[in-house]
Amino acid sequence: MDDKKMVKPLSLFLIFCLVVSALGCIGEKETPAPTTAAPEKTVLSISMSLTEEEWKVMREDIFPKFEEDYNCKIESYEVAAGDLPKKLESMVKAGKMEIDVFAQDNMQLAILVQKGLVEDLSAYESMIPDEVIDALIEAGRFNGKLYFMPYRPNVQITYYNEAKFKEYGLSPPTNWDELLDVAKTFKEKEGVGRVLLKGAGGAPTTCQMYEFIVSAGGDPLEFNDEGCIRTFEYLQKLWPYLSPDSKTAKWDTTNTYIAQESAYLAQNWPFGVPIIVKDYGKTEVKTYHGFSGPVREAHVIGGEVLGIPKGSPHKELALKFIEYMQSKEVQEILASKLAWPSIRTDATGKVEDWMKPYYESILEAMKYGIFRKNVPYWTEFDKLFNDAFEEIVINGKPVKETLDKYHDEMEKVKENYGG
Amino acid sequence: MSFVSFSFFLKRISKNKFEIILILPLALFVFGFTIGPIIQAIMMSFEGIFGGNFPTLASYSYIVHHHYFKAALFNTIFITGVGLSLELIFGMILALILSEKFFGRGIFRAVMLLPLGIPTIVSASNMAFIFSTQGFLNELLYRIGLIEVPIDWRVGTIKPLMTIVVADMWKVTPLVMLILLAGLESIDKQLYEAAKVDGAGRWHRFRHITLPLLKPYITMALVIRGIDAFRIFELPLVMAGRHVPVMSSYAYFEYVERNNPYTSAAGATILLIMIIIAISVYLKAVGTEEVTR
Amino acid sequence: MKKYKIFLTLLVIFFGILMISPVYFMVKISISQPQDIFTQHPTFLIHNTTAKWWRWIFSTKEVWAPFIKSLEVATLTALFSLAIAVPGSYAISRLPLKVRYPLVLGLFFTRMFPEVGIALPISVNFIKWGLLDSVLGLVIAHMIRILPLVTWILVGTFETVPKVLEEASSIDGCSRLGTLRRIVIPLAAPGIAVGTIFAWLGSWEEFTYAVYLTLAKRTLPLQVFYYINRGNWFLTATYATLTAIPVIIITYAMQKYLRAGYMAGAVKG
Repeated sequence: MDDKKMVKPLSLFLIFCLVVSALGCIGEKETPAPTTAAPEKTVLSISMSLTEEEWKVMREDIFPKFEEDYNCKIESYEVAAGDLPKKLESMVKAGKMEIDVFAQDNMQLAILVQKGLVEDLSAYESMIPDEVIDALIEAGRFNGKLYFMPYRPNVQITYYNEAKFKEYGLSPPTNWDELLDVAKTFKEKEGVGRVLLKGAGGAPTTCQMYEFIVSAGGDPLEFNDEGCIRTFEYLQKLWPYLSPDSKTAKWDTTNTYIAQESAYLAQNWPFGVPIIVKDYGKTEVKTYHGFSGPVREAHVIGGEVLGIPKGSPHKELALKFIEYMQSKEVQEILASKLAWPSIRTDATGKVEDWMKPYYESILEAMKYGIFRKNVPYWTEFDKLFNDAFEEIVINGKPVKETLDKYHDEMEKVKENYGG
Repeated sequence: MSFVSFSFFLKRISKNKFEIILILPLALFVFGFTIGPIIQAIMMSFEGIFGGNFPTLASYSYIVHHHYFKAALFNTIFITGVGLSLELIFGMILALILSEKFFGRGIFRAVMLLPLGIPTIVSASNMAFIFSTQGFLNELLYRIGLIEVPIDWRVGTIKPLMTIVVADMWKVTPLVMLILLAGLESIDKQLYEAAKVDGAGRWHRFRHITLPLLKPYITMALVIRGIDAFRIFELPLVMAGRHVPVMSSYAYFEYVERNNPYTSAAGATILLIMIIIAISVYLKAVGTEEVTR
Repeated sequence: MKKYKIFLTLLVIFFGILMISPVYFMVKISISQPQDIFTQHPTFLIHNTTAKWWRWIFSTKEVWAPFIKSLEVATLTALFSLAIAVPGSYAISRLPLKVRYPLVLGLFFTRMFPEVGIALPISVNFIKWGLLDSVLGLVIAHMIRILPLVTWILVGTFETVPKVLEEASSIDGCSRLGTLRRIVIPLAAPGIAVGTIFAWLGSWEEFTYAVYLTLAKRTLPLQVFYYINRGNWFLTATYATLTAIPVIIITYAMQKYLRAGYMAGAVKG
């Protein structure tokens, strides 16, 4: 039996694995270990959902100062916006909250309040500096109570591939008709659509559609008012001329499609700028504020807010952290390093030269900012809205009847929430 | 099945105490963490979406009206049927090639086994690179002049499914090949010699000697692969996303993206029923005794 | 005959390229500059290489947490599975055929249960028990998949250990446990080794349970998935290569054990 030869290397391998993982374990525990030795050094756990670039700035330029000022250590985790409710619920139910403060997409807040996973911060509202734009504070208010604090507003800008636009003698569209023309031209010239919409479903699709409907003068939560019908009819017309990648386009993948030149025009948050232009070297990709609809130009103000989960072990420190993130100092770093728009009227960063035109377009788009309605049944609305999008835009069902159906279902949901 | 044998044990407790103690942890684990959760999932599927009274069919009536569920049902059956047949055909071709003697056979075998060393999620990402609109397959077709405009592999009903079938084939055909190769090696060479003497051609020998003798191995490959093909998950999840669902990815999206455990449970239950039906129909047709090994 | 040879050679080359190319593209992307990949016409050969993606994952240290978690989970899964499966499968192998057969088959058919169906209630329960994101939770989940497989391999192994040896040993006054330790296990060691390796591999590359049970502390396969969703091909390819390396090495080292019976459970489509 030469099979016996196997046994020795295998045992060696397993022992090796054990040692490495044990070392890993110890390594992990080494961080809390000094806590017991030097009790004044608390660990503040933060969860956010950021890109690699953004994490780098946070960890190198923003966290260290806070750690020094408050003699603590920050541990940060990447938790996707969609996973955060489950993560918090898990920890609340197990009775051990390991996150002290979290950042969350301001479109996915209702469920956190609904499930009772966050602390009521109404008592600390006075902590918010006066320079913070009032409208941004309202996004964190549910049923009259303030649960979330603003720290990052965001707005989608429109990316376009300047080289390709020049090649076909086009200029970036300023309204829906031009958008349709541009999409048609690309499809004619190249045989494949080059304008990208985010059709993968979920928050990216909802957010984009919200903008479209408002700029057509409709109310998305109604489903079948005039603006909604107009928007869906327009999208049905537009869909065949769009890039085939639209079906899998989300916020993250949109960057890839633009970089791959699979799409020449697409809307996305500004976080794509450093990725597309700097990481992937696509300097021909430019941005502008966007196009207007038949009634007005509108861009949803998105972004992130900070909240404190129920049972956070270091609530006081977490509040200090929120205060720190809202400070002029931090807001200016974020603006200059990442071209993030600021929540403060007085924070204007000195962005790097190459980034200036992009930053300009962000500020321009902010001028057309709108806030989406802050309703408790947002999660249900989101599901229905996505279903409607899939049925009408992707699968081509008749607009009016389908929207009527969803309007009725929406009414039922509203009733469940007591009108 | 386990339950019957379990009660059978009880009668023999005194006789086989030692064995029972040894087997107990295994049995407890399987009951606690496999059978238990499955029953829990089935129960969950009868709970209401809006917390209605148990049992209710609300989740089921929700999903059967959901257009993605119908698509998932069709896609799963399509991928299983087409995928299995193609994997069997190509596995057979590869096994036949490998049963020949030729220069570089060892290297060829090693190359064929490469997919077994690739985790499924990794093969899914590799296939996504290849089948992307600006991916390597479109580039290849473009360079050899077959297409001008990149093909959109995600549009239509059959095209996206075929990409998934190809991806699945890449990953598991080597396994089918190994099973069939084991079968080929078990066939007595003298049978072929005798047939040759009788003047039987290559095809004739294959049809009348190889195939019948391979039947148990084919059955094994079909059962093992059939179960996995129904449960296919990573490949469609990564390559096709939400708009081309299969049963597993439908259940996943219902739970993870739409936060709806009850409809997800209903989807999983229907998938379980599908597998049970398919397997029992197949085993009825060919008989059980061939499955063991 | 000559024609047949040429046909065969062509087939061999064709299938060879087919099997290698996806892996080749993966490695290529992980060492390519963006301009070779992110263009309308990606290149097939390697032109502009860069180590920046590999440097990125190691220099930002983000690779270590997933790597260690994967290693921990895989090793613990292998060991725990062994601890439960060795006694269990030994006992099964010594049962009369009439019981053994349905038992083994029954274990095999637990594979019929859709993993998304098991993972769902497990995930719901783990939320309540606070086991999401934990190593222990994932180990338990992986054992659901791996325990039947290891048992399946080990029953086959123990069956080959002749009963006569055991009887001789018990005549010599050895207790049954003693016999097991001194006679049976050493004889079955190679099979146990193979089982352990498959268990380790199965856990290392596992995705479904991991994706249901992980939110912040990802394993390597989840890291691949994460970057797919992020749309970053380069880091996807880098992590994919990293995840695949140990699997490829072990698979080739174990080539002769890639027998149908073993592989039945080990490979998942």
